[in-house]
Amino acid sequence: MKNDWILKAPLTINWAITNRCNFKCRHCYSRDDPSEELDRQNLSHCIEKIKEAGVFSINFGGGEPLLRKDLFDIAVFASGRGLSVSMNSNGYLISSETAVKLKESGFSKVGISIDSHIPGTHDDFRGVKESHKRALKALFPLNEVGIETSISTVICKINCKDIDKLIEMARQNNVKHLNFHNYKCTGLGYSNKDELDLSPEEWRVFYLEALNAKQKTSDIHISVEDPIIASLGYKDGSSLVKGSVCGKLSLNIKSNGDITPCGFIPIVIGNILNDNLSEIWNNSPVLDMMRNKTPRGKCQKCGYYSDCLGGCTARALALTGDINNPDPHCWYESQ
Amino acid sequence: MPKIYRNPDVMWREEEKFKAQAFEGLEKGDDVQNIGTSVLYSGGTMLALNVLGTEIWKKCDGRKTDEIISELTDKFDVEPAILKEDVTKFLSELKEKGFIYYEE
Repeated sequence: MKNDWILKAPLTINWAITNRCNFKCRHCYSRDDPSEELDRQNLSHCIEKIKEAGVFSINFGGGEPLLRKDLFDIAVFASGRGLSVSMNSNGYLISSETAVKLKESGFSKVGISIDSHIPGTHDDFRGVKESHKRALKALFPLNEVGIETSISTVICKINCKDIDKLIEMARQNNVKHLNFHNYKCTGLGYSNKDELDLSPEEWRVFYLEALNAKQKTSDIHISVEDPIIASLGYKDGSSLVKGSVCGKLSLNIKSNGDITPCGFIPIVIGNILNDNLSEIWNNSPVLDMMRNKTPRGKCQKCGYYSDCLGGCTARALALTGDINNPDPHCWYESQ
Repeated sequence: MPKIYRNPDVMWREEEKFKAQAFEGLEKGDDVQNIGTSVLYSGGTMLALNVLGTEIWKKCDGRKTDEIISELTDKFDVEPAILKEDVTKFLSELKEKGFIYYEE
């Protein structure tokens, strides 16, 4: 299926600005990545290039972005160039003082990773004692200084039946956005998949319940972004594209500047320091393949393929070795 | 009648390739309403506008609704009554999303 509507540049860059981390998450995809970090001067140069290409926003991640001492300076530079700046953090290092500095340096949004309403469950998953307490504690000063907060939850065995409790936790902490991220089998996520990942039937049940909760909840925006929910009759009207957004609306940059289609697809398609972003965006054979997938296996006869386009490309690649294969999380079998 | 302004927090850009494609289609009398010629982005919300939507959006710089309709009537081969209905509805949607605001 040829996808002809390709934007001239990504809207968002997800930027793993460092691989250093103070956590030991059981699903971590970057812990074993030995890539070096770009220094501040090179980062500024790269941010200029991104802005010139037409990108709207940068979302810093990692690793834990706050372990970079120059994060605030980098954010000042990016926001000063008119880019929308946000980050994903484990929240452990966010105090009232940090929240003020984040606001002053131009961060408009900060997502905090919290995977359970039960402190011990979250702490075990993230590998650090008191991490749940510190994550919740980070939300208050962020809200106080006017940074939009969200809770990001990686859905897996430890939390897939706790949707209502996760929503209530967000509500009690004055968080207006709750993002349910599907489990990715990259890095430790692959090593621990048998213990943590859900079966296709468990994913079906989770999404039915999550979409039901989303429909019933008006005070919190619940994000349930996974192309495979198309088979439940759900169409995400807010997305500009069908299937995965990676390589269509967004790109990922690693700590050394290497560009990959998304954080969970370890295929390097260029380097932001040395290459032209527009050139890569428009001419990368890998991106072209991702934008124009060929249905394989059960996708060939599936009536929902035109909406889901085979589901998550990263999962298909990680678990089957072929981006065109059906998303291994997909439960749907056409009659 | 109030003046209409784009919300300065909304980031947007035209997609030149598709803009050219849409205007070429218009010349030939093709249906181009499904070709996105610009993208708007605010707080994680994305919106793709077709050629008419983009032209309306670009005119939200202090003009009034009647002025926008009048200028577009000269540019697009559409019945004035239909154009007025389309423009009014579209502006109402943009207002609801917080992408524009009105000022007396």
